[in-house]
Amino acid sequence: MIAEKYAKEIEGILARFPTKKSAVLPLMHLAQHEYGYMSQEAMREVASILGLDPTHVLSLAGFYSLYYEEPVGRYVLEICNDLACALRGADEFVEMATQKLGIPVDGTTADGLFTLKTVMCLGACDRAPMLQCNLKFEEHLDEAKFEALLARLRAEAEAGEQKTAVVPQMIAHAAKS
Amino acid sequence: MSDLVTITIDGVEVNVPKGTLVVDAAKRIGNDIPVFCYHPKMTPVGMCRMCLVEIGLPVRDRATGELLRNPDGTPQINFGRNLQTACTVQVSPGMVVRTNTPFVREGREAIIEFILSSHPLDCPICDKGGECPLQNLTMAHGKGDTRMEFTDKMKLAKHVPLGELIYLDRERCIQCGRCVRFQDEVVDDPVLQFHNRGRSLEIVTMSDPGFDSYWSGNTTDICPVGALTTADFRFGARPWELTPVATLSPHGPAGSNMTFSTRIEAAAGGRTVIKRIMPRQHELVNEIWISDRDRFVHHFADAPERLTQPLLRKNGSLIPVSWDEALEFVAQKLKGFDGTAVAGLSGDRMSNEDFFLFQKLIRQGLKSNHIDLANGRLAGGDVVAQVGVVNDTTYDLPQRLGVGDAVLVVACDLHEEEPVWWLRARQAAKRGATLVTLNARPTRLDREAAFAIHYAPGTAVETIRRLLNAAKVEVEQSDDPIVAAAQALVKANNLTIFYGAEGITYEESDAIARLLGNLLLVKNGGSGHVGRVNNGLIPVWPHNNTQGAWDMGIHPAFEPGYKPVKTPGRNATAVYAGVANGEIRALYLMGADPVGDGLMDGRGQLKLLVVQELFLTQTAALADVVLPAQSWAEREGTFTSGERRVQRYYPAITPVGECRPDWQILAQMGERLGLGKAPFAASLVFRDLAKVVKPYKGMDYRSLAQVAKQWPDVGGEDLYYGGTAYENRSGLGQQWPITPPKEPFAVPDVEVPVPQGLTLMRIAALYTPGTLNRHTKLLAARLAQPTLLLHPQDAYALALQDGEPVTVAVNSGNVQATLRISEDAPVGLALIRAIPYQPGTAVAHITRVAEFASS
Repeated sequence: MIAEKYAKEIEGILARFPTKKSAVLPLMHLAQHEYGYMSQEAMREVASILGLDPTHVLSLAGFYSLYYEEPVGRYVLEICNDLACALRGADEFVEMATQKLGIPVDGTTADGLFTLKTVMCLGACDRAPMLQCNLKFEEHLDEAKFEALLARLRAEAEAGEQKTAVVPQMIAHAAKS
Repeated sequence: MSDLVTITIDGVEVNVPKGTLVVDAAKRIGNDIPVFCYHPKMTPVGMCRMCLVEIGLPVRDRATGELLRNPDGTPQINFGRNLQTACTVQVSPGMVVRTNTPFVREGREAIIEFILSSHPLDCPICDKGGECPLQNLTMAHGKGDTRMEFTDKMKLAKHVPLGELIYLDRERCIQCGRCVRFQDEVVDDPVLQFHNRGRSLEIVTMSDPGFDSYWSGNTTDICPVGALTTADFRFGARPWELTPVATLSPHGPAGSNMTFSTRIEAAAGGRTVIKRIMPRQHELVNEIWISDRDRFVHHFADAPERLTQPLLRKNGSLIPVSWDEALEFVAQKLKGFDGTAVAGLSGDRMSNEDFFLFQKLIRQGLKSNHIDLANGRLAGGDVVAQVGVVNDTTYDLPQRLGVGDAVLVVACDLHEEEPVWWLRARQAAKRGATLVTLNARPTRLDREAAFAIHYAPGTAVETIRRLLNAAKVEVEQSDDPIVAAAQALVKANNLTIFYGAEGITYEESDAIARLLGNLLLVKNGGSGHVGRVNNGLIPVWPHNNTQGAWDMGIHPAFEPGYKPVKTPGRNATAVYAGVANGEIRALYLMGADPVGDGLMDGRGQLKLLVVQELFLTQTAALADVVLPAQSWAEREGTFTSGERRVQRYYPAITPVGECRPDWQILAQMGERLGLGKAPFAASLVFRDLAKVVKPYKGMDYRSLAQVAKQWPDVGGEDLYYGGTAYENRSGLGQQWPITPPKEPFAVPDVEVPVPQGLTLMRIAALYTPGTLNRHTKLLAARLAQPTLLLHPQDAYALALQDGEPVTVAVNSGNVQATLRISEDAPVGLALIRAIPYQPGTAVAHITRVAEFASS
């Protein structure tokens, strides 16, 4: 239950908004951080903290691509294949990535490390092909760099390091305020 | 400055109030701009783009602000380059709208083609087929051709239950969002939402139970396609096979206008049966909305358990006999009793005609004044006759409560008791009226209330007396919410008061009605709140025609029309006592089950018990004679709403068995007791009663059937505009006039035993299991289960756990309930819901079920 585990953080987040309802997105990040994805239970928890109907949370999870309604791997690799990236070889890059990981787009590797997704414009067209890994951009990619990235992430996972960029910071910040 | 704006639509000038949307202005002059997402009862969103038109505005000189003119003197109009949505643009002076140019037609064609590109076109099996806005608008504005590749057709789930009442067909949905907006904006149950984006957009619900709202059925009326259908009607019939029959809600006191859709069915042995119930527009009553109880609870009318023949007790058992035998038996027996030993008690669901003849039979036929409602909960009908609410007489944009007005809600939970009135109170608050709630516990309306005042159990009368006294003096500012609320109420331009009987006794409710009447009479610088539109008292009666029962003199102290009885008879409580001690020897019951309700302990010392009923109730099973009555769906009659609006309902289905309407049974009985020839039609009974019941003077079945133009325009040829609610073609009814009192009401002193320690109070639940809704299998899973709500502190003190089964002592015996720990219960007040009505409050005796079993 995030309500108990993150009581202080939640209090900090709620304090920043004039109405409870407005805190729904950060609380969803918090729930997703805790559970790895927006499970039905996670949605209900967020809804009950804010006094909302869970349908509202479900709707937001469906609208925003950064909330995952299915379990994802430890690292979510989101490759942009919108027009500008596609012109710089994003489709081929995606194809290469599926082969390297041995999973289709939207699939997760058997070891639970990687989920591969394609996304619409991330605003880094000049640095294509690119992807974002747990909200952190990896740019000017090619096959070698992609392999190096995978190797780095595997090593990091083995060492048990936490490498989710934005969300823990946000939570830590909320706890302080 | 005038509040009217003149614009020109396709060369026709129209004057409309400032702020009117172009689409509504066009509708006013019969120009049907097509819409899908727009609905005149909701704020516009401009999502579907179907209403695209050319909108031009007069050009002004930037420096001087002067209108620029063409050489011929006409103002120059700038149309801009793009089409605009007529549903989001408000009228402005000099605006010129073109709705039928090639540019506009091209736009409409494109939108229709776009919408149809992912529509399944399964009209031949679609429930909406035949009354479908998308069908109609495609015929009117579509190209008749498509560039769609059928291999690319979207294939989506077609039977998605949004709960067990409403089904969603994802392929048919055109994503207009009417249902989502209705649930959020109109009824405040935001349990439907959009999920995903773009072409993957779909309607979802995650509430528990699914689509958790008392209003879910209305989304199927306003859905412009067959995406949302009710489980009740789904695949049940084609719209063109159905005959609409006007009716009224047989449940709540608001008198909601509804329409049966009926059909003759082979499966029912050639009988006419009800296929569905939909709203019928009445802007002063229920607008175009009905609750799911009104929509789905009709199956009792066709239930196999209905009585079909008169029953007479012979050798200890009830045997079917002919009507003549049954009537003759009862009449002969009744003749043998003295008037003081005979009593008549009635339920409050019957028609005015039934009530009138019932009291005539008891008073004139049997010379008895012992006549009352079998289970009267709420008093004050005589007060309402003097200070009741006054409705507007305009149906086209009637005056509604808003800024500067106030609504007071006392001792009731409108959301559970009469959802239509909850909606009205809520909407008034949303429009800016000051809402004051006065209850023993928090209710849902508190969300919108400016003052939500919770009194201690047993102090309702005292609290309202304080409110009244505070209203009589001028106070600038006060920290006491009662004083502040009183000042807001008395200073309001218009004041409507709802009062009910939650947690109070009948005697308390009588005092409360009088106190509230006096509150309405307080002038305090203003003109008082009696006799003006939107001012007055509305009793939240327990049933659909309790008002009519009062009007017709189903009361020991009042004859029809509130004429005082010289020597008042026994009230129901005294009748039950008389049954027990032998002072009452014969009892005639109509539509009442006092044994089942725990009010009467068996037959007592009765020599004769006659029961007129739909079902073999616990009381009927003890009777000497059981007379089978027709349900409201089989016959005609009139009900009077809590706003004193007398309205007609019409026969819809083939009568069950040999059942007769209650008024007819009573008239035929009366004929045998020397009351003259029985009238042969309900309309004639009404004609007779209108002569006697003063407030009904001048009314007849024709005047009650009159209609007027209403806004918005729904249910006409253009179903798309307001959905498929029915236009009111069968009568708006008539509100009977109040007679304002000459002086304030005398308020009797009421002794209220205030329970010590933890107190128990029964609260209402819309789906409380009962005689009628038990027969709607569809609602079985939603019927409220007996639940005891306890504040965490009280639960802790009693060492009770959430979810544990408990036994609770109530007036009528012990009930089993599930315990819920909830802050909805105030400290020291245990709330119990979904059990039969219990007046007042009592000391709470709560036992853990295990303990109870072992002791």
